Amino acid sequence: MECEEARPRLDAYLDGELAAAERASLREHLLDCRECGPEAEALEKLRAGIRAAAPSYRAPMELHARIRAALRRERGVSAPLAWRAPGWLAYAASLLIAVALGSGGTYVLTGERQENVIANEIIDSHLRSLLAGHLTDVASSDKHTVKPWFAGRTELSPPGIDLAAQGFPLLGGRLDLIEGKPVPALVYRAGKHIINVFVLPARAGDFGKTASRGGYTLHHWTAGDLGYWAVSDAAPDEFAKFEKAFRAAAGS
Amino acid sequence: MAWLAERRRKSRFEAVVLPHLDAAYALARWLTRNDADAADVVQEAVLRAFRYFDSYREGDPKSWVLRIVRRSCYSWLERNRPAEIVPLDAPGEGNERADAVLAAGGADALLESRSDLRRLDRLIEGLPAPLREVIVLRELQELDYRQIAEVTGVPIGTVMSRLHRARSALRRAWDGKEGEHGV
Repeated sequence: MECEEARPRLDAYLDGELAAAERASLREHLLDCRECGPEAEALEKLRAGIRAAAPSYRAPMELHARIRAALRRERGVSAPLAWRAPGWLAYAASLLIAVALGSGGTYVLTGERQENVIANEIIDSHLRSLLAGHLTDVASSDKHTVKPWFAGRTELSPPGIDLAAQGFPLLGGRLDLIEGKPVPALVYRAGKHIINVFVLPARAGDFGKTASRGGYTLHHWTAGDLGYWAVSDAAPDEFAKFEKAFRAAAGS
Repeated sequence: MAWLAERRRKSRFEAVVLPHLDAAYALARWLTRNDADAADVVQEAVLRAFRYFDSYREGDPKSWVLRIVRRSCYSWLERNRPAEIVPLDAPGEGNERADAVLAAGGADALLESRSDLRRLDRLIEGLPAPLREVIVLRELQELDYRQIAEVTGVPIGTVMSRLHRARSALRRAWDGKEGEHGV
């Protein structure tokens, strides 16, 4: 083997990634060559240096405990999700005060009623879409791209609505699991805030109101046989404007 | 018995994921460069992994876990330190930093003193994320090329060139700074 063949293979050689024959002929070259030999040695020394220099970080015990506790709370996608935020009771109290102060149709989600379960799942999904960096499966501001993407992936066909002109550009679409079923979510931006609109089949008992939890607000309305569930931390008037624009565009 | 199936699913998840919690934390710590942020990102990633556990199919569990952790790290960086997310091959800060490291060439000798190792640690921290992560995955987590490709979602050829680039940068900077240190 010659130097020009050997050099690009040095890393792979030291990483044990070369096939046996190649490895043997490279090793031979390193023994002979006055430039490649020391080069390989220096590289190996750097590798040893990196291993010696780099602190070996280990997950703290506290993190182990936190994760186990979080998993205990997690009940999986097939069951209704539990409250995930620790200290929930503490801010439930503050929300109650907010409600007492008269925030209109807003009420705190605590009951076991079906719509509350869905509402909680939807807020969870919204949070997860923000935290996990999984905002869109199909990133497009073009409603003609987003709408067909859902076809075949879910039985529900959300309307393709772009509200860029009204100040709420469409960012794309995503498929989430709500009650264990794939559900389309349309993703919009309102200033610095994200609005997720989940589309579920409308059903009896839909509450058609506003709910909130931990700074996130849920707007729910139905149109035809579809139920819309929009979640965001956008300011209330901004959010109301969005709902109005969306309903107008959807003709609902 | 839904709860029984759920319990089985959960214990299988714990068996697959929890053994790699240290590796997950180490990667997150190197990418976020902060203890508390690394812990938050790992917790979030594990819950996300749990949610998508049904999509896990008998592959290499460590790569699967690290891939999810890495993705969570990058979205965390996007939200909190967007300046650090610069495509490696585009002109910009990340590249300038890499090139600054690369430019700091010097004598071809290596020191082994303690402070010198500390400096090497800093140099690794100073690498742009795409170079830093291949060093961490290869040298510290001892993943092979195929696993690194799986975790980072790039072809093996890209893994090789990034690894080479990262090592060249570190070597030149390490060698170069040695001269300054000799005062």
